Amino acid sequence: MGQLKCTVKILKINTMRIYLYTLAIAVAMVSCRAGGENQGTEYAPNMYHSVAYEPLKQVKDKSAGLWVNSTDENVGEYYSSNPNNPYGMNMREPVANTIPRRSYNGAGTDVYFEAERVHKDSLAYSAANLENPFAEGDELVLEEGKQLYLTYCQHCHGKTGNADGKVAAMYPGVPKYNSRALKDISQGHIYHVITHGKGRMWPHASQVAPDERWKIARYVQKLQKGES
Amino acid sequence: MYIEIRTLSEKFGKFFLTATLLLSFTLAHSQDENVEPAAEETTEETASEGGGSDELIQVGVTVYEENCTQCHRFNSVVVGPALKDAHTRWSSKEELLHFIQYPQKVIDGGENAHAKELYDQYKQYMPNHDFLSDNELEGLYAFIVAESTNPFHEVEKAEETLASADGSGTGGAGTGVSEEFLMVIIVILIVILLSIIVALTLLMGLMKRFVDSRDDISEEEREYISPGFNLVAMLRSKPFVNTVVLLFVLFALKSGIDGLYSVGIQQGYAPTQPINFSHKLHAGMYEIECQYCHTGVTKSKNANIPSANICMNCHNSVKVASPEIQKIYAAVEKNRPIEWVRVHNLPDLAYFNHSQHVAVGELECQTCHGPVEEMEVIQQYSPLTMGWCVNCHRETLVKAEGNEYYDKLMEFHDGENAGMTVEDIGGLECSKCHY
Repeated sequence: MGQLKCTVKILKINTMRIYLYTLAIAVAMVSCRAGGENQGTEYAPNMYHSVAYEPLKQVKDKSAGLWVNSTDENVGEYYSSNPNNPYGMNMREPVANTIPRRSYNGAGTDVYFEAERVHKDSLAYSAANLENPFAEGDELVLEEGKQLYLTYCQHCHGKTGNADGKVAAMYPGVPKYNSRALKDISQGHIYHVITHGKGRMWPHASQVAPDERWKIARYVQKLQKGES
Repeated sequence: MYIEIRTLSEKFGKFFLTATLLLSFTLAHSQDENVEPAAEETTEETASEGGGSDELIQVGVTVYEENCTQCHRFNSVVVGPALKDAHTRWSSKEELLHFIQYPQKVIDGGENAHAKELYDQYKQYMPNHDFLSDNELEGLYAFIVAESTNPFHEVEKAEETLASADGSGTGGAGTGVSEEFLMVIIVILIVILLSIIVALTLLMGLMKRFVDSRDDISEEEREYISPGFNLVAMLRSKPFVNTVVLLFVLFALKSGIDGLYSVGIQQGYAPTQPINFSHKLHAGMYEIECQYCHTGVTKSKNANIPSANICMNCHNSVKVASPEIQKIYAAVEKNRPIEWVRVHNLPDLAYFNHSQHVAVGELECQTCHGPVEEMEVIQQYSPLTMGWCVNCHRETLVKAEGNEYYDKLMEFHDGENAGMTVEDIGGLECSKCHY
């Protein structure tokens, strides 16, 4: 009888221990989870980190990944910064005074090239001389222009070009397209303003490609007439 | 009971909301009534002082609203100078009106010193306003004089915006109050419940004492009235111990397996960024499209992190004093990159292309990135696991309509798009993503 009691006791202690261990393991596993500042635990990290330079990724810590190093170097495997660039960046700025290929390649070649070369102060020249390579009234162009307009212009200029976008309230100085001052301005004028900015509007050339600017100009033309 | 409380509180909430709305409406209305006659009085006053007739000034107000407000205000510099006392800065009325019509001509003519001064200060030409009729110009002048000597128009405007701000303010506060109101109702209900329990216990005690005091109850009946309850015995009973053990084992297993599954998944990762940028404000409140800043999303593998010049499109003048915005200026001045912390770290072993999914597949950004327009701090919304990718490729139909790339394919399938998923056109091939 006494023996039986004893084994029961031992069994109890053992099960308690097992419980505790399982609990500890469970807690440890839960802490692998990502959240907030914690990136979580990586599985097979060697396959996660790019060996080549990635444009939007930069690891500046030279000791990062030292523990899985497969090379003889004293630099960690995850270290990814280009020492030849300023700040070790993996991206490079375009060479000064060069024009991106998109600006002189493809349909309407001369127009893109010329438009890109017009000086930012020569609004009058653009307004008088630049022609939209896309025909007026092309439904496909208008549809694309509308989408682009809603993406790049709408938050200030408003859905119908009425200067009633949400941002315009914070950023006054937005004109109405169908006002008497603006309803007759030319396609070249619109193109120039998107490219180089005017008044309080800053240049949007880095965001909107030349052909997209011309498409937007076609759609704006519609808004100038009060259609939408 | 819970449902009852909810419906009750909802009803109360709705009632309260309507009440506040009604109240704010009546308040706003009474405010309008107060303001209107006062404004009329001032208009009359200024009209007599400014020299222009009421109608003429009204013409001027219309012209001003339609053509000037985008660049000018009376008391602040927007793009061009403040218009207050503009008529005193020019030597004659004709000179000012001529300048409004042909600014560039006057400035380039070089004969007018004030015009040149203005150009030197603001560095740009005002567009020509040669389309304004003589009557409109006269009206504009009369309005400038009247508004400068005795402001009425901008005051009205300011009051309007104030009133609308007040309206929205009370609206916001209204919902806030109704939430508090719900809390109050819940607390009251809890208090009522507690007092009922206390009353019942008191009642039971009273009855027990009453039963105890009676002699004519048999032992059996007594047992029935108050059955003995042994807590220790219950805790030691086998079914109880077994249940507890089972629950514990299940819990440990569940959290253990969950933990194992979360290895290598960064869902929920929301690092602190160098600049406290809020997507909730920009994409949510101001409705700026994702693509406006993430310009690469339809054209390249990467959606791109916007460069500082895109921030500057607005923040050259919006919230200039904010320390967070100052960080952008510092970066621009020193030509230093802003070191954002990358949130979505897709493993290098998998290839993903944004343009393929957004431009061709026409997916919304939110499909994978979640409700970004509601996120104060950006976080990884989707798990980005292979299972997650594959699942979507199995379920999603190919957007073949209007895409001539798929025309031939459609032809061979008798133009039947129904049921053609990404999987069917090879979306699960290993080498599509792993190479």
